[in-house]
Amino acid sequence: MKLLSSIGLTAIVLVAQPALAHHSFANFDLNKEITVAGTIKEVQFTNPHVWLQVMVPDGKGSQTEWSIEAGAPGMLLRTGWKPNTLKTGDAVTVVTHPAKNGEANGSLIRVTLPDGRTLGPGGPPVALK
Amino acid sequence: MRLTTAALVAAALLSPLTLAAQKRAVPDIWGVWMGLGGVEDADPRFRNTPYPRDPDFTEWGAAESRRLASANTPGECNPWGPVGVMGATGLFPIQILQGPNVIVIHHEAITQPRRIYMDGRRHPPADELLPTFNGDSIGRWDGDTLVVDTVGTNGRTRPLNGYVSGSVLSSGVDTAPRLPGSEQLHVSERIRLVGGGQYLEDVISVEDPKTYRKPWSVKHYWQRRRDIDVQEYACEDNRRRDAEGQQITGTEPR
Repeated sequence: MKLLSSIGLTAIVLVAQPALAHHSFANFDLNKEITVAGTIKEVQFTNPHVWLQVMVPDGKGSQTEWSIEAGAPGMLLRTGWKPNTLKTGDAVTVVTHPAKNGEANGSLIRVTLPDGRTLGPGGPPVALK
Repeated sequence: MRLTTAALVAAALLSPLTLAAQKRAVPDIWGVWMGLGGVEDADPRFRNTPYPRDPDFTEWGAAESRRLASANTPGECNPWGPVGVMGATGLFPIQILQGPNVIVIHHEAITQPRRIYMDGRRHPPADELLPTFNGDSIGRWDGDTLVVDTVGTNGRTRPLNGYVSGSVLSSGVDTAPRLPGSEQLHVSERIRLVGGGQYLEDVISVEDPKTYRKPWSVKHYWQRRRDIDVQEYACEDNRRRDAEGQQITGTEPR
């Protein structure tokens, strides 16, 4: 696993929390955020939540498959995502709240796309002026 | 000629059909609305009032509130009930289908719509009322305000202010009490257009003598969104957390 950073940020908790309000995200440590870089194996643009499967190299020639949980498809579609935004093989950098049990999964905070754009886990859309 | 035109216009305005249409004219609330709960840049005139942090619980209400403040989310795919549907969090839109005899409110994340009957009926007698998640809702227009009365809920919905995220609970970020609704829940709503028709205000008043010693109310705002379509939400579809050993529970038997 290529661990780029590991910091606790209460501010991130407050920002990310509304997006996750429907289901319990009890298994994720919202006080911790880590960054992993890898390539997309699969995007499950599904209800009730969207999942990104990311292959993350460990620097020793093998890879770990991370499961990254985002919000509901409707939330993502209202905040800049399209079902084909990410494709298999795309290189991404993912900032995530990791699982408390140390397994390779987490809840999405933000992902940087190959074109440099950054998208979040879904949440309230921008209000109309 | 001018006189003739004026006479024709007057005749048209006074015709039985036109008079009937004028009598029926009510505010147009048809369409898709997005809750303003989580939106920072919304119009500051229209801010949700927070749920009570210290409601006057009965003994049962306090115990139920503690029970619901858990990381488990029992029956999370069930309908959210009348308060949950109208709880504007900013995460999911509602779509209002407005007919003369019924108003249907569909919340994106909930499969069962609310149906508010506008045909002048009363609630069924208490002993004939089948308890349901959304309850029995009847409405009428009081001037420009839609007045809705709901009884007959089954006491099995999620807390009126939603579940707390288990992680958030354990991290101490959200310590607001969960607000249960029992089968004695009685919800009164006053819904009206504000902000030039671009916002919907819902004053939601809650009486539930099994749970609270005193009624309380909140005010929620929704913004009209012609640019948003309601998406499909199939709560039971890709429930991976089952397989990954995460916290999922079904409906609790009663």
